[in-house]
Amino acid sequence: MRSRGGLDTAERVLGGPVLWAGLAALTAFALAPFVWVLLASFKTRAELYATPLVWLPTSLSLANYVEAWTSKLTPFSRFFANSLWVSSVTMVATTAISVLAGYALARFRFAGRQTVMLVFLATQMFPAVLLIAPLLSQWHALGLIDTYQALIYSNFSFTVPFTVWMLVGYFESIPRELEESALMDGCGRFGALCRVVLPLAAPGVAATAIFAFVSSWSELLFAITFTSQTEMRTLSAGLLFMVGQYEIQWGQLSAGVIISTLPVAVLFTVLQRHLIRGLTAGALKG
Amino acid sequence: MAREATLARPLARPLLTRRAREVLTGYLYLLPVVIALGATVVVPIVRAIQMSLYRNVLIKPQEYGFIGLGNYARLLDDDVFWLSLWNSFYWVFGSVSLQFLGGFVAALLLHQSFQGRAAVRTLTLLPWIIPGVVVALIWEYLYQPNYGALNDLLARAGLMTDKVAWLSNPSLAMPAVIATNVWRGVPFFAIMLLAGLQAIADELYEAARVDGAGVLERFWHITLPMLRPIIVVATATRIIWTFNYADLIFVMTSGGPANATQITSTYTLLQAYSNLDFGYAATLSVVLLLIMLAFTLLYLRVTRGVEPVA
Amino acid sequence: MDERWRLSRRQILKGMAAAGALTTAELAWWDEPLIAPRRAWGAQPVRFQFSVPEPKRTALVESLAQRFNQSQKDFEVKVEFVPQAQARQKLITSIAAGTPPDVAQVWDNWVGEFDGMNAVEDLTPKVRDWSGYKDVLPLAWETVTVKKRILSFPWVVTNDGVYWRTDRAKEYGAKPPKDDWSFDDFLAYAKTMTKPDKNQYGFGMRGQGTWAVLYATEFMYANGAQVLGRDGKVAINSKEAAEALDWYLDLFRKHKVCPPSVPTDGWRGIVEGFGRGVTNSYIHNSGSSEEQKDFVKPENFATVPLPFGPAKKRSSFYFSETLTPFKAGKAREGGFKFMAWAMEPEPHFMYSKTLGLLPARKTVAERPEFTRDPALAGFIKSFPFSIVSPYLAHAGWGGKLDSEGVPLFQQALVGRLTAREFLDKFAEVLSKNMS
Repeated sequence: MRSRGGLDTAERVLGGPVLWAGLAALTAFALAPFVWVLLASFKTRAELYATPLVWLPTSLSLANYVEAWTSKLTPFSRFFANSLWVSSVTMVATTAISVLAGYALARFRFAGRQTVMLVFLATQMFPAVLLIAPLLSQWHALGLIDTYQALIYSNFSFTVPFTVWMLVGYFESIPRELEESALMDGCGRFGALCRVVLPLAAPGVAATAIFAFVSSWSELLFAITFTSQTEMRTLSAGLLFMVGQYEIQWGQLSAGVIISTLPVAVLFTVLQRHLIRGLTAGALKG
Repeated sequence: MAREATLARPLARPLLTRRAREVLTGYLYLLPVVIALGATVVVPIVRAIQMSLYRNVLIKPQEYGFIGLGNYARLLDDDVFWLSLWNSFYWVFGSVSLQFLGGFVAALLLHQSFQGRAAVRTLTLLPWIIPGVVVALIWEYLYQPNYGALNDLLARAGLMTDKVAWLSNPSLAMPAVIATNVWRGVPFFAIMLLAGLQAIADELYEAARVDGAGVLERFWHITLPMLRPIIVVATATRIIWTFNYADLIFVMTSGGPANATQITSTYTLLQAYSNLDFGYAATLSVVLLLIMLAFTLLYLRVTRGVEPVA
Repeated sequence: MDERWRLSRRQILKGMAAAGALTTAELAWWDEPLIAPRRAWGAQPVRFQFSVPEPKRTALVESLAQRFNQSQKDFEVKVEFVPQAQARQKLITSIAAGTPPDVAQVWDNWVGEFDGMNAVEDLTPKVRDWSGYKDVLPLAWETVTVKKRILSFPWVVTNDGVYWRTDRAKEYGAKPPKDDWSFDDFLAYAKTMTKPDKNQYGFGMRGQGTWAVLYATEFMYANGAQVLGRDGKVAINSKEAAEALDWYLDLFRKHKVCPPSVPTDGWRGIVEGFGRGVTNSYIHNSGSSEEQKDFVKPENFATVPLPFGPAKKRSSFYFSETLTPFKAGKAREGGFKFMAWAMEPEPHFMYSKTLGLLPARKTVAERPEFTRDPALAGFIKSFPFSIVSPYLAHAGWGGKLDSEGVPLFQQALVGRLTAREFLDKFAEVLSKNMS
C-alpha cells in the first residue's frame, strides 16, 4: 500500500468525492438495466402496461417466474435443461480436447508449431456467420438437425481455439523440471500430464472451462439455425422466439431474462478471481 | 533452449527412438483437436468458399450452378453491401472507442482501494458475461417507446415532450444499439486494463512522487506507457469481435429500420435466413473473413513492435 | 405423445374457456378427442407442419389432428409445430433436402415459390372430384392457382379491414367510421382520436413486414392505381399511386396520428398497440379479432371496410391460409384425406370460428356466427370488392417484397425517400423479379 501521507490536493479530491461519485455512477450504469428487468419480472400485467409507468411492483409475486418455468409454449424449464446440458458437455469435451492439444503444443517440438499457434489465434477471429450456411448443410446431411450434438459440435468452433491458445500459455509457464522427475520415475507422458501438470495448471484449466461454459450458454445463432422444435431450444433461442412469435409478454420475458442470467452471474461471482486472472493472462503476455 | 541437456539418457535402444515416440505422442494428442476443428471450422470454411462460387438460392434449385466470381461481381454492385460496410465501421468505431473510454475510467476507479471493492468489481463486470440475447432484450425493453424506462425517465426529468421511438428512428437506431453494445463491452476493457494497472509496480509511482510529479503527469508518463501493450491487444481483439458480432443488432433491429443498422454480418444473416441465398451469404461471409484476416495481419505487425515494451 | 402433454393441452383449452375465448359447447368439441384417445397400430403416419402464430392454436390443431385420427384407421396425422418466423426457412430447407412434410399449413404467397422449386403437385383433377369443390369461393381457389393449376386447399381466407374503438369514439366525439367512409373521414377520425397526453394515437400504421407495403398498396388502389398495367408491365409508380401514398405516409409524417414506433411495428406491434389501448384504429385481417375480444372486450370495438379513395374506388387484398401437400411427401394419399377432412363443414367451422378467421366455404361463411359478429362485419362487407393480392402475380415477388420492398418503404416513412422515389425504386425491384 502506498503511504497516505503527503497527498497533494488533486489526489485528495480524486481519491475522495470524485472516487465515490465515479463508483456510484459506474455501479448504477452497470446495474440499473438489471434492476429495471428484475422489477418488471415481478409486475402484474396491469402494472407492466400502465400509463403513466409504474416503477415498483406492488408485491413480489413470483407468478411470472412460475408461468415462464412451466409454460407449455415457452417452457423455460426445458430451455434451461437444454442450455445446461449443451453448455456442460461442450465445456467438458472442449477441456479434454484442449488440454491434450495445449500440452502437446507446449511440450513437444513440432515442425510448424508457430504456424499452428497462429492458426489457433486466427480461428478466434472468424465470424460466426461464416460457418452458419455450411454447417447447416453439413448437419442436415448427417441428420443432426434438432439434436444436441449439432449444437455441441458447432460450439467447438469458437470454444476450442481460445482454450487451446490459453492453455498453451499456462502449460508453458509450468517448469519442465517438475514433470521430468515424474517422467524419470516411469510415468508416461500422460501420467505426467495428469499427476503433475494438471494440478498445477488447475486454475487456468478451470478458467478456460468456465469460459467454454459461459460462451456456449450465450450462443444464439447456431441454436436458432440448427434447431426448430420447441423442446430442443436453448435459453437464448427460446428467449428470441418468445419475442418473435407471440405477444411480447414483458413480465414473463423479464423472468426468462433473469433465469438465463442467474447461473452465469453466480458462476462468475464465485469464480471471479480465477476467471479474471485466467482471461487476462493471455492478453498480458502480449 | 537448454532443456535437452536435462533429458535422461536412454538405457537400451527401443524400437522407435525416443524422439520419434515423442513426436508420435505429440501428434496423437493433437488428433482430437484436429478432428474437432477440422469438422467445425476447416471443412465449413472450404465449403463456404466453394458455395460462394455457386448460384445457390434454395428457392430456385433449377438455377443452381457454378458461376465463378459472379457473386463477387454482384457484391460490387450491391448498394446495401457498401452501406453495410460503412455501418460496420460506424458500429465498430463507435462501440470500441466508447467501450475503451468507459472501461479505462472504470479500471482506474476499481484500481483504488476502498471498502467493498470486490463486490463492486463483481457487480460492474456482470453486463459482460450475460448472454447477448439477454442484453438485447433488456435494452429493447428500456427503449420501448410506450412502456420503456428511458422515455419515462427523460419525460420526468423534463428533457422530452414527445415520446421517442429509439429503435424506429433511422438516425437514432445506430446510436441506440451502440449504446447497448457499450454497456456490454465496458467491463471487458475494465478487466483488461485493471489487470494491466495491477501489474505496474508501485515503486514506479513512488519514485515519480519523490521527483514531484503530479497525478496527471504520473498518469501520462507511467500509467499510459505501461498499459500500451495491453491497450493494443485488448482493442484489437475487441475490434475484431465487434466487427463479427451480429447477435445484438440481429435481435434488436434486424438491421432496420430502412437498413440504418445493417452491418455486414447481419446482412449476411439476412441473405441466409430471409432470402435463403446461400451462395451470396457465403460470398459476404468470405469477404468478412478476408477483411478480418487483413486486420489480423496488421495487428500482428503492430504487436510485434509492442512486445519489447512488455 | 405422452400423457403429460395431453393433459396440459386440455389445460390450455380449459384456460381458454375460462378466459372467455371458448364457449362451453366449443370446449366440449375440442376436448372430445382428448378424453378417449385412439391407439392407432399400423396406421401410416402423416406429417403435418403447422406454423404457430399464436399460442392457443397449438391446442386446437392437436385436437383437430386427433379427431381426424379417430375418424378413420389408415392414417395418423402427427403435427409438427414450427414458430412462424422459422416456418418458411424450415420448409424450404427440408424441400431442398428431399424431406418435406406431407402437408403444411402455409400462406398462399409461398405456394408460388414452392412451385418454382418443383416441390408441389397439380391437384386440379383430384380437387374437382372432391365433394366440396363448388362450395369453396372461386376467389379462394384463385389464391392457390398457379399457372392454371390448383396446388393447395384454401383453408381459411383473409381480407383487410379497419378495427376501431367504439367506446372511445363516443367519448372523444369522433364521427364513427361508416361502411362507405372516405379518406377524409379516415383522417378526421384519426386526428380526433389522437391524444398524445394520454399516450393514444388515432391510427396504428404498420411499418414492418410484407403487409406494411400491402396496406399502403390498398390505399393506392383506392386512388385507381394498379401494380400491373394492362400491358403486363409494372405500373405501380403512377401518379395516382404517388398521390395516395403521399396521403397515407402523411398520416405518420405530417399529421402525426400514428405512434412514433411505426417504422418497426410489425404484425405484433399493431395488434398489441390496439390491444393495449395505445392506438385507436389499425388495419389487419380478421385474425386478430378474437385476441381483441380478450384485450379490448367485444363491446368496445368494431370493424369497417377500408375507406373510399379520391377515385371513389377501394379494394381489400385477399389471401388464404392454405393446406399444401408436397410431392416428395411419403403419405400423399393420407395427406389428401386429411386436407379434405379439415375442409369438411364441421372441422372447418370450428377451426375458423375459434380463431376468428373467415372460412373458405360459402355455406360455412354464411352462418350467423360470422355474418352477425360486429368484430367480423368489416371483413364480410369487404368481400364484394376484395381482389387477390396483385403481388401474387409473380412468384419471385414474394420474398423480394419483404427483403427489398419493406426497407424502401421504411425509408419513405421516415422521409429519406419521397413517395415518388420510393415507387420508382420499388417498381424497379418488381420489374427485375418478374418470372
